[in-house]
Amino acid sequence: MTMDGPPDAPQKSASATALSRLTRRRRQDAAARVIVTCGGGAIIASVLGILLFLVAEVIPLLQSTQVESSAPIAAPSSVPLAALGDEGGTHVVLLGADGIARAIRRRDGAVVAEQALFGTSDDDAITATFTCGSALFGDYGFVAGSADGRAASVAIRFEQQFTDGVSTISVRIESPIEFVVDPDGGPVSACAASARQLSTAIVAARADGALVLVESAVEQNLFTGERTIKNSNRKLPSAAPVRTLALDGRRENVFGATADGCLLWWNLLDSENADPRVTVVGAPITALALLLGDQTLVVGQDDGSLTSWNRLQRGGGRLQLVRTHDFPRMRSAVVRLAPSWRDRTFGALAADGTLRLCYATTTRVLWEGAAPIQDITALALAPKNDGVLLANAGTIQPLRVQSRHPEAGLGAFFGKVWYEGYPKPEHIWQSSSGSNEAESKFGLTPLLFGTLKATLFSLLFAVPLALMSAMYTSQFMHWKLKRWVKPAVELMASLPSVVLGFLAGLWLAPRIAEFFIVVPLFFVAGPLSVLLAGWLGDRLPSRLRHRFPDGTAALGSIGVLALALTFTITLARPLESACFGGDFLSWMRDSLGIAYDQKNCVVLGLAMGIAVIPVIFAIAEDAFSNVPRSLVSASLALGADRWYTVTRVVVPTASPGLFSAVMIGFGRAVGETMIVVMASGNTPVMDWSLFNGLRSLSANIATEIPEAPEGSTFYRTLFLAALLLFAVTFVANTAAELVRQHLRQKYARL
Amino acid sequence: MKPSPHPPTAPTKRPLSGRAFAWLCGGALGFNLLLVIGQLALIAWNGLSYFWPHDLVEFVRVDGTRRLGEVHARERFRPDGHDATLELPWRVQVKGANRELTGTDFEWLDVRDVARSSTPANAIHVERLEWGNFHGYLGEVRRGDEVLASGGAAWPALEALIERKHEARAAIAELEQGDFGDVNYELEQLRLAPQRREIDADQARQDASFVELSERIAALRTALDAETAHFITADGRESVQTVGAIVHALRPNELATLARLMIWAKRLLAFLVDEPRESNTEGGIFPALFGTVLMVFLMSVAVVPLGVLAALYLREYARQGLLVRIVRIAVNNLAGVPSIVFGVFGLGFFVYGIGGTIDQLFYAEALPQPTFGTGGILWAALTLALLTVPVVIVATEEGLAAVPRAVREGSMALGATKFETTWRVVLPAAAPGMLTGVILAIARAAGEVAPLMIVGMVKLAPALPVDHHAPFVHLDRKFMHLGFHIFDVGFQSPNVEATKPLVFATALVLLVLVVAMNLVAIRLRNRLRQRYASSAV
Repeated sequence: MTMDGPPDAPQKSASATALSRLTRRRRQDAAARVIVTCGGGAIIASVLGILLFLVAEVIPLLQSTQVESSAPIAAPSSVPLAALGDEGGTHVVLLGADGIARAIRRRDGAVVAEQALFGTSDDDAITATFTCGSALFGDYGFVAGSADGRAASVAIRFEQQFTDGVSTISVRIESPIEFVVDPDGGPVSACAASARQLSTAIVAARADGALVLVESAVEQNLFTGERTIKNSNRKLPSAAPVRTLALDGRRENVFGATADGCLLWWNLLDSENADPRVTVVGAPITALALLLGDQTLVVGQDDGSLTSWNRLQRGGGRLQLVRTHDFPRMRSAVVRLAPSWRDRTFGALAADGTLRLCYATTTRVLWEGAAPIQDITALALAPKNDGVLLANAGTIQPLRVQSRHPEAGLGAFFGKVWYEGYPKPEHIWQSSSGSNEAESKFGLTPLLFGTLKATLFSLLFAVPLALMSAMYTSQFMHWKLKRWVKPAVELMASLPSVVLGFLAGLWLAPRIAEFFIVVPLFFVAGPLSVLLAGWLGDRLPSRLRHRFPDGTAALGSIGVLALALTFTITLARPLESACFGGDFLSWMRDSLGIAYDQKNCVVLGLAMGIAVIPVIFAIAEDAFSNVPRSLVSASLALGADRWYTVTRVVVPTASPGLFSAVMIGFGRAVGETMIVVMASGNTPVMDWSLFNGLRSLSANIATEIPEAPEGSTFYRTLFLAALLLFAVTFVANTAAELVRQHLRQKYARL
Repeated sequence: MKPSPHPPTAPTKRPLSGRAFAWLCGGALGFNLLLVIGQLALIAWNGLSYFWPHDLVEFVRVDGTRRLGEVHARERFRPDGHDATLELPWRVQVKGANRELTGTDFEWLDVRDVARSSTPANAIHVERLEWGNFHGYLGEVRRGDEVLASGGAAWPALEALIERKHEARAAIAELEQGDFGDVNYELEQLRLAPQRREIDADQARQDASFVELSERIAALRTALDAETAHFITADGRESVQTVGAIVHALRPNELATLARLMIWAKRLLAFLVDEPRESNTEGGIFPALFGTVLMVFLMSVAVVPLGVLAALYLREYARQGLLVRIVRIAVNNLAGVPSIVFGVFGLGFFVYGIGGTIDQLFYAEALPQPTFGTGGILWAALTLALLTVPVVIVATEEGLAAVPRAVREGSMALGATKFETTWRVVLPAAAPGMLTGVILAIARAAGEVAPLMIVGMVKLAPALPVDHHAPFVHLDRKFMHLGFHIFDVGFQSPNVEATKPLVFATALVLLVLVVAMNLVAIRLRNRLRQRYASSAV
């Protein structure tokens, strides 16, 4: 600390120089004040801004879906049976009840392409009337059935062209594929189709109830370009006339609904049984739709109820249609359903003109409102999930939809969710999916559970050890020894967790698996040997004992414990041979039915405990040492012995500090990452067994976030996980800090 | 600090339960110390013995087959159908080599099957660039078909040749990384340059030198691979090794302890300065060590001014009130927020936010290949700076608070402004506190892995973040890190058992780095406390 000596200022012109110097110094001072205040404030604000940033990344997950109407477009006056739009939202194609598919440009409402579905293959150009029609799923096209017993499907192509750097989309409606459903000319009551590259399958229902399944494959000759169409027919029996139909993309399942409220399911792979399996649903079924992935069937009924069904194995291993999700009931009959091509979203339209967007997996209603136009007969979701098309005779009403994360929601994160293919609702984390069609499962509960389990086991191990050693160090140890012991334990805190994790995962885990019995044995033998050594130490002549400073016993116990450990390891093999048929773990598996994973909670608890012990120790030791000396002296002066003073005076006084030590240890354990990644096996299972692995929030973030595309639901869900960690540790640490400050004030008064 | 008071009276008969509990507490402390000592000893022993040249033992089985290798472990085991009343037999785990011939590294030998074992003086341990180690006996050294040396002369000839090959390899490496690297770098720059006109000439020139250099390197490589060493393995097979692909060869069995010690030290040094080989499972850790140190250095450059400024504000300039108390608690608590949370923030804010913006503004020609919009050493350093800034703030504040009020008031009374007082009086006095904070921050940053896994660490970085191309320090490059090296080699490599010793050695290096810094910080802090404990009175 050196200071510039007072300057031997010259007397002359002193006032002027001194004044200017003073001004300069004042300015300097003011500038420093501004810089430090602004800079420091900004740094603190930006550090705290981390929280805001995390929140900002998470908020879009919970934002509700926004729907706005765009300007309506004038459409041909025929009643539209179905509608579809292209990816870019430039065109709408309508299938009219007059048998003509028309492509309409959204910009100006012009009809840019037209194609009659019937009467192209032969000369009788009858304009048939359609009884039913729908858009294909996953591909652009329509299928329709006519009043005179025919069905047809047509594919539509949107082609992008670049002219002078401007891209334009042109629409081509291909020539339809047509066939006869009912040779007698009865009306087709329902039809559905699936198109896959060059083959199309159509299933159509006749008025007499029978179903006809036609698969037509177009074969193109490579050299001549000539196309031949191969048709194959199959008849499916049905007891009652079918009102609506759905066909899956693999052409393995056909679903139908009758007017009396029966849900029919034909399993086309089942060669023995052509008859449908019938499920009585109740109110007449008015709409059916298969969602992306062809697993979930959404059923809309006359009374407005909306449910979804899955094929699941029930009693006896037989596949059955099971009702998996109930959506809130609509106010009137569900008349139209439209699935999304991107995810499990679907649109539902009720007879009273209410439009609803739902997410099937979580039964979340994304949006509900009155449709802006009346008498809607066609409903479609835009391929990119960014819009809805409504159409009636004469008008097309596009809606803009903003739903960035429909699969998110508190229910999806924390509740049990019934995922496709699962026998019951479950908590599942399974972020990566091979294809678009599989659902991602964002259940955070197993990860929260894993975090808590790991924390609990590590604290069970660390808290007693840390508190006891802190008490011993502060109360029973001579200060000369303490000067060495404290840094030694603090050194433990500096062990990088990746090193601890490596030791736990690659060194400790195989050894514990081999000599597992040592763990419980040492748990008993360790304390016993310490007690024995203490008792023997007490018998030593007091002259000898007083030669060592207080607390040397702790150093001695290192040797005692090392001996006990060696002893138990030597004892392990013979004991296993004698009592457990040679191998404790296989005995445990065979007799108790407990499976043992090599990377389990015992290993993890030990390793994380080692990481947490020094944290708790440091704060607890402080708390013990800060108990005012006067209190201890008073207690001793009144005749209480050392131990009595510790338990009745020191511990109660320090207890808030001990609480804060445990809280800080808790915070450290909750956020521990590398040890969990390396020593836990990373299996997101949920049970309390000591002998299996787990996956924690932090480990999950570390391993998965590099693969998450920026801005996706997956990415934001991991941000939510980080926010949860932040919140939990922040609360725990704040509680600890407040308690500690309170304690410090209390001691200051004593 | 006062010595803890002894009971005023002679120790009376205390109840046994109380004493027993005190013993248990002592035992708990002893157990903690045992854990620390045990871990340090475990890592030190395993890490250091990795470099020790072990004996090569030749085992001859009862059926006459032979196996040459190092003894890796011995244990008692339970053979199938073993009589429980008899003592368990021993078995030996042999760490072999010759991966391309045998396919396995480790083999358990039942001691009862071994007829005899010996340590032949002429058994050779070869460390190769590829395929791991080789164990065998030297037959002859050839160049093409010409026999250069055979029999007893072969070994000295091979040793000399290997020495020369070292230089040849170094020359090639210098060409590749120096001139050849420059040409490649120029070509890449030309590819990205937006003005096409004057480039064609440049391009042609660079292309020509590219071809010329490639030819030179190819010629050198041919010369390097000219000689071959012909070995016979323990099981009698002949094996030809290119001398140019041999890193070291030694006959461990004939070495005395001192010579082994020399080799041990040499290997240890080589481990620190060599590049990794065989996807990190062999060779050295230099890039990881360098990456760790550089990243920590960059982090300190960022964290020191930030932390000190914030602490100065909190302690010296801000009005002490409820708000500052809340901020102080919040900053304190940030030190306890899990590091992975900072990693997530770094990814979202630095990498995708700032990095993505920088790419769009300045590196648009390289898009969609990201330059700063992906993990890199700068983002890693900044993320860790955020992670450690609370540590520096808290320690600096502690240091500032320890400066007695009287000193400040004295300075003010002499007419110094607040700035002058802070700059000339308070900060120098608080310097040890700041230093402690910085060292603790560095120690924490050096051992931190989880956040770096998502903001810029890679398994194998193609180039160091520092080289001789302007701007010399490439902050956008990905880097290697000791901690991630441990995780990656220990858990992601195909043959974990064989790489474990290397991981122990890496862990030891990391541990020495971190523990040394922590010890320095602890000592500094203790001295600081003592100084003010005495001067504050």
